[in-house]
Amino acid sequence: MAQSAPPAVELRGVRKTFRARRRSGNDTVALDSVDLTVPRGQFLCLLGPSGCGKSTLLNLLAGFIVADEGELLVDGAAVKGPGPERGVLFQSPTLFPWLTVRGNVHYGPRSRRELTREVRQQAEELLVTVGLGDFMDAYPHELSGGMRHRAAFARVLINKPRLLLMDEPFAALDAITRAAMQRFLLDLWQRERITIVFVTHDVEEATLLGDRVAIMESPGRTRASIDVNLARPRSFEDTETLEFVTLKRTIRRALEEGKAA
Amino acid sequence: MTVTDQAIPLRSVQKMHVPVAPPKERQKMAVRRTWRRILTGFIGVLLAIAGWEIAAAIINDPITLPNVQDTAQAFWTYLFKEYPAQGNTLWQDILVSTGRILLGFSVGTLGGVLLGSVMAAVRVIRELVDPLIELTRPLPPLAFIPLFVVWFGIGETPKFVLILIGVIPVMTVATVSALDRVPQDYLNASRALGASHFHTLLFVRVRAALPAIITGMRLAMGLSWTSIVAVEMIAATSGVGFLILQAGNNLQMPLLFAGILTISLLGILLDGALRLLHRFADPSTR
Repeated sequence: MAQSAPPAVELRGVRKTFRARRRSGNDTVALDSVDLTVPRGQFLCLLGPSGCGKSTLLNLLAGFIVADEGELLVDGAAVKGPGPERGVLFQSPTLFPWLTVRGNVHYGPRSRRELTREVRQQAEELLVTVGLGDFMDAYPHELSGGMRHRAAFARVLINKPRLLLMDEPFAALDAITRAAMQRFLLDLWQRERITIVFVTHDVEEATLLGDRVAIMESPGRTRASIDVNLARPRSFEDTETLEFVTLKRTIRRALEEGKAA
Repeated sequence: MTVTDQAIPLRSVQKMHVPVAPPKERQKMAVRRTWRRILTGFIGVLLAIAGWEIAAAIINDPITLPNVQDTAQAFWTYLFKEYPAQGNTLWQDILVSTGRILLGFSVGTLGGVLLGSVMAAVRVIRELVDPLIELTRPLPPLAFIPLFVVWFGIGETPKFVLILIGVIPVMTVATVSALDRVPQDYLNASRALGASHFHTLLFVRVRAALPAIITGMRLAMGLSWTSIVAVEMIAATSGVGFLILQAGNNLQMPLLFAGILTISLLGILLDGALRLLHRFADPSTR
């Protein structure tokens, strides 16, 4: 890896306001001059209270919305609309219900006319990897919540993204499935070392998963960045160590100061 | 740039076995449930027929209520034999009525879906057309029959137009609401997976709206039947509606009942076709 290579994500002075619905209302500042750099291969957690603009930041990176001001660079290139090199995972799996699991995974390559025999083969291997080998021809409504999320992972990973954008992907899951998905994500990241920007409002989740936790405050600013220097690979047993708990407390305190301000 | 280390296994996967029956088992269970439902429904129909037969025996007046055998016989007799007061066999009337429905319904559905799509896409057109639809929607199409007879005579045109003005508003409203209700996340997901705007529009937005549009078609089909039977009674010389009217005028009650049952059967048949289409469009209802 060359030292001069651009960082995976770079934001400089990014501003985004949403215009008020009613003429009398004030415009909402979602992001107020945000600077952020994510080195290649880092697992960054964006932590903040609801309404602090963390989802807006993710939507900007995904290319779903356009910034009012500032620069957004992914791998050194300005973001212009959505693209398959940036994989997005939403809060719900958003699998297309009219396609089978296999059809969903094929959707990206097929829409770009890249669905070759090799890609089909990779799709099958990927589905076996995420534990859906027996469910390739099932429809999304036939799967459990965790299985749907894993199918959504496969659908994104077939595109070989260099950046994964995740917007509270496990927030709607029950505690047990959620823990399983976090474990799954850690293993995956351990293997592939994709750069990940992970939005969450859960302090424990952020501490467990991230290399670094960026704390955001309302309206739309990053107020602190805390490195998580815990050993990898991490597992759930680590959440009970003193080191983990101390770090969690530091992060929580930083978060609460932001809320009070 | 990504470091792939195949030696690290995804240990979590083996531990994450969720107790969901494999698709084949579930399918078998679903099939069994379907058969039981059909059987129960069939028993219901048999009970209704038995009730009819008993009522006919008690009333004992074939002009008020013919019994089941006479009705069945009338149906069978006139299926391929002309009814003198009307000049058509039942079979011909069925073809005439179904033909009218299918023509008006297909053109109306196509028009409604096109109009609805344009309304969903272009705000100005939506704001322009919306009040018009809301103004015409409460009007029963039957209110237009005298007007259309004056304008178009008693040929095929008034029937076609009548079905059209019934179907178009229903399909327009169904299409607009179906397209509006497609979650933005689906469209975002499609774009983020690398699909173009056009591909997303066609293969996600329209595709996701399809089941709701087909449900709208089922409503429009019911409306078409109401319209066609009514107009055939007022201004026609053929069709099942005309047959019922003639049978009533001549107190041919078994034939009248046979005509009513024919409409019911045709309705079920066409609705069944649309339900089949819906099943193909929406796997979660299979």
